Amino acid sequence: MKNTRKVIMMIVIVCLVAPFALVAQGEAETGPVSFEFWTTETQSDRMATIQVLVDTYEILNPDVKINLVPVDENEMATQLQTASAAGNLPALIEIGAENAVAFGSDGLMDVVRNGELIDKIGEDEFYSGALRLVASESGDNYAVPFHGWIQGIWYRADWFEEAGLEPPTTWENIEKAAEYFYNPSENQYGILVGTKAEGFTEQCFTQFALSNGAQLFDKDGNLIFNSPEMKEAVEYYARLAQYNPPGPQTWRARDYYLQGKMAMFFYSTYIMDDLSLQEKAAGSLTGENFAELAGSDFDPDLVTHTQMVPLITNTDTAGFGVVVTLGVINQPDSAAADAAVDFARYLYTPNAYITFLHMAPGGMNPVLKGIASNERFQNDPQGIFKHYGAEKMAEINSGMNDIVTFSIVDGNRITAASTITTKQIIPQMLYKVTQEGMDVDAAMDWAESEMKKLID
Amino acid sequence: MVILVKFCKKFGFFLLIMFIVLFSLFPFIQMLSTSLKYSWDWGNPSLMPAKINIEAYRDLLGLGEKKVDLPESIQNLLDETPDLTEKQRDAIIANYLDTGDVFPFGKYFLNSILFSLSAAAVSLILSVFGAYSISRLKFRGSSFIRRGILFVYMFGGILLLIPLYKISVALGLGSTEEGTVVALVIIYVVQTLPVSLYMLGNFFRSIPYSIEEAAYVEGCSQMQTIWKIIIPLSLAALATVFVYSFMIAWNEYLYASVFLKSYENLFTLPLGLKALFVSKNAIWDRIMAASMLTAIPVVILFMFVQKYLAGNLASGGVKE
Amino acid sequence: MEQSLSLRRSLSLEQKKARLGVQLVLPSVIVIGLLIIYPVAYNMYLSLFKVNLVGNNTFIGAKNYINIIADATFWQSVLTTFLYVVFSTFGTTLFGLVVALTMNKKFPLRAIVRSIIILPYVAPVIAVVYAWQFFFDPVNGIFIHVVVEMLGLYDQRFNLIGTPEYAIWVAIVFSIWKSFPFTYLMIIARLQTIDNNLYEAAEIDGCSSWKKFLHITLPELYFVLGTLILLRFVWNFNKFEEVYLLTENVKTLPIYTYFKAFTGVMDLGQGSALAVIQFVLLIGLIMVYVKKVLKW
Repeated sequence: MKNTRKVIMMIVIVCLVAPFALVAQGEAETGPVSFEFWTTETQSDRMATIQVLVDTYEILNPDVKINLVPVDENEMATQLQTASAAGNLPALIEIGAENAVAFGSDGLMDVVRNGELIDKIGEDEFYSGALRLVASESGDNYAVPFHGWIQGIWYRADWFEEAGLEPPTTWENIEKAAEYFYNPSENQYGILVGTKAEGFTEQCFTQFALSNGAQLFDKDGNLIFNSPEMKEAVEYYARLAQYNPPGPQTWRARDYYLQGKMAMFFYSTYIMDDLSLQEKAAGSLTGENFAELAGSDFDPDLVTHTQMVPLITNTDTAGFGVVVTLGVINQPDSAAADAAVDFARYLYTPNAYITFLHMAPGGMNPVLKGIASNERFQNDPQGIFKHYGAEKMAEINSGMNDIVTFSIVDGNRITAASTITTKQIIPQMLYKVTQEGMDVDAAMDWAESEMKKLID
Repeated sequence: MVILVKFCKKFGFFLLIMFIVLFSLFPFIQMLSTSLKYSWDWGNPSLMPAKINIEAYRDLLGLGEKKVDLPESIQNLLDETPDLTEKQRDAIIANYLDTGDVFPFGKYFLNSILFSLSAAAVSLILSVFGAYSISRLKFRGSSFIRRGILFVYMFGGILLLIPLYKISVALGLGSTEEGTVVALVIIYVVQTLPVSLYMLGNFFRSIPYSIEEAAYVEGCSQMQTIWKIIIPLSLAALATVFVYSFMIAWNEYLYASVFLKSYENLFTLPLGLKALFVSKNAIWDRIMAASMLTAIPVVILFMFVQKYLAGNLASGGVKE
Repeated sequence: MEQSLSLRRSLSLEQKKARLGVQLVLPSVIVIGLLIIYPVAYNMYLSLFKVNLVGNNTFIGAKNYINIIADATFWQSVLTTFLYVVFSTFGTTLFGLVVALTMNKKFPLRAIVRSIIILPYVAPVIAVVYAWQFFFDPVNGIFIHVVVEMLGLYDQRFNLIGTPEYAIWVAIVFSIWKSFPFTYLMIIARLQTIDNNLYEAAEIDGCSSWKKFLHITLPELYFVLGTLILLRFVWNFNKFEEVYLLTENVKTLPIYTYFKAFTGVMDLGQGSALAVIQFVLLIGLIMVYVKKVLKW
């Protein structure tokens, strides 16, 4: 009775007090300098590889302790905001360039140390196009380009050839092929463009808008979103979306292509990794296993029948890609920040860098010119260089230099465009047009008013 | 005629049960089916795999021979770092082989059990006494408390998360493993307490007061009555509340993702599942197998406590 | 001194009970209070600021609130939220009640059936969402394959989950599917305690099953049902993950909040203001409900 009451009080007291007792113990174990490195490579096999790099660095630098933390890209904002409120931000972060600019313009990134890191590696070593993507309006560096991917249209070269169609390089060719292969009664679809309100949709659309000379801002930073060129691009995009599989779609629908139910799809060069997995799966389908395949849609030769077009042409020619960056974050502890710079510098040494890039050959392309032609880099574990040929890979890699986005107009940084991108206004607009059947003018007016709210 | 009506009734009842079962289970049939398919079979609409593939389950449960090999790129890295001693090199490799699993199911499973059991136990103990108090005893402010506990659910997700994390770091909890466990368990307890209090409160109110009076006459104190009368009579409700609290902690993602991110040793199943789901190499057989394996322990737990639910308590001598 | 001693001795039974009551509930109140009061106050405070990621916040008064109230899509999403919450709450409660009554009858294999029907509730949301999407997938799903290819009920493949007209109803059915086991568990726990004598007496009086349900079962379940409806209402009002992962285009308030304040760089001030408004909307309804229906 009385005892029971005591027991409850005890439990409560333990719950409330125990933490303090534990804290006292915990503090002694940290080394002289320790910091957190947040990576967006959350898959545990990739984490393990990065951990090897961390372990190696720690052995070479015994007074530094690095805690590798996986953070889902979609949750980066929440995690940073939470850590910022609590005062335990990481010192180093791996993050997409648009996000680095958006967070950097809010004062998160340590522009001095990021500049220092670029100098240490050598500014000339980088593709200048990639560096431009992380520069602020005043020429500071919000982050340092680390690796990147190129977007392209991947298509069934064998189907195109059979139908006598031109490769999907121009607006006209793309639409013609999408219409030709769209055959829903046979459960076959022409193309995949993003129509859900999320990042993938913006990536597909950006390439079309820019290939039509449509911009969000002029080079002086005035909003010129509501232009005839932009409207044309939206209308064209809506027409293409008709040849999509039914309903709102995103990158996951690439599975339909792998199953031979789709002719073309937008995707990053990360698909090379998937295709090679697919090829491995096909490799195991020999002999008696083949009997099970009767009637299945699987095409063991899919990889050889797949080709990629990185540039789209209408009035202009545009390529799209994303550069992933490493960024040092403003720290109260300057020793941690300096250690972060030094560790980041280590990640750019050829040995560490190639190990990192080889986690996803094709998907992770170097931003340092010297690495692309490095023999060890070209000898990748998945055999992707062998498959696509050094020439194609060089073309993809040099794409790092030609990435165009809404946030750089004639070389001028437009920070507001990065904010608009991160707020996903354009994908929301495209969803309204393609799925809810909203009138193009009305949807664009809506998007414009949302953009104006963000700017002021 | 009567027989026909009876038959129709029985048949209707049978149909109803079939409907309930199918409605509950259809996505799980899909899940099971996908988890057993080979990748070349994913485009096949049939729920029956063309050929059964149990690799995913074997990988997750660590059955069969473990074959994490050292990738060439890592071998190269170590070969070309001349400053490493042989011993250091081996340590790095050992660490890699140890963590290179795609999904360390066993580790995540134990962590999830740790969090869920502690949260459910603490929540149950606090709520038995709290619920007895608000349902049986009158005191100033009791009605305020009854209504006030609902506040917990009024603000959703992220908005509570930031201040709570801030407090935990300010108190020093967030900077140690042990502290993080305590902080997260307390948060789960708070998330489940209101429901536990409401549900047990309602239940206690349904127990006839006359039984308690009889106990007082025999000289029991109030605490003894709770222990000897209320708890034994409420096993069904207690079991339900326990399963509820356990499950909330078992599946919780948002708080875990923020509080645990720096402590890889504490990762729970939902964190592992999410990492699998967002990875671009969608390995659907593995994802679905992992999902099945995450759901099953709770079902087993439930089957285990079910015997308390099945007993007809009213026949256990509770008569007015 | 002497007076106070005699006073303490004369503590009536009522007072003793009151003291015990406070002691028993105190641990719960302390734990909840500590963890809730600060965050709520913090949110109210932040809602008056433009919150910066780093550095000091700027006071902007009611601007965050004005911003929201002046937004037409906000009011639309209030409407969507009510539609979603009302239908999903009543659907869940009704179905949970039917299931509880069914499972309270004896039939073969009951123990197994009772255990497996809680699966929807215990499985992780993210996993079941993908299972639903696979099942109704327009290209590879079994559902479309059966209704279009095999039965020929429709002549075209369609995306049941993604189509905007259906999306809210899919979200409601999904919510019922996901949460009915909780309702069922709570109801059946209470059903077991209903005195069998009551039914026997009613039977002697010649009452039909329906009458028995109406006059015995339902009154006994009154509080449980009242509480379940209340909790479900509050929960579904704030439900984000279930709706967003399944069909992000059902713009309930939490999803509106997500797009408005949490995509990209967070606007915490705006988010806090939205939370406060949401809170005010909810609290009025709840207070009336708790007083009138639950009589607490």
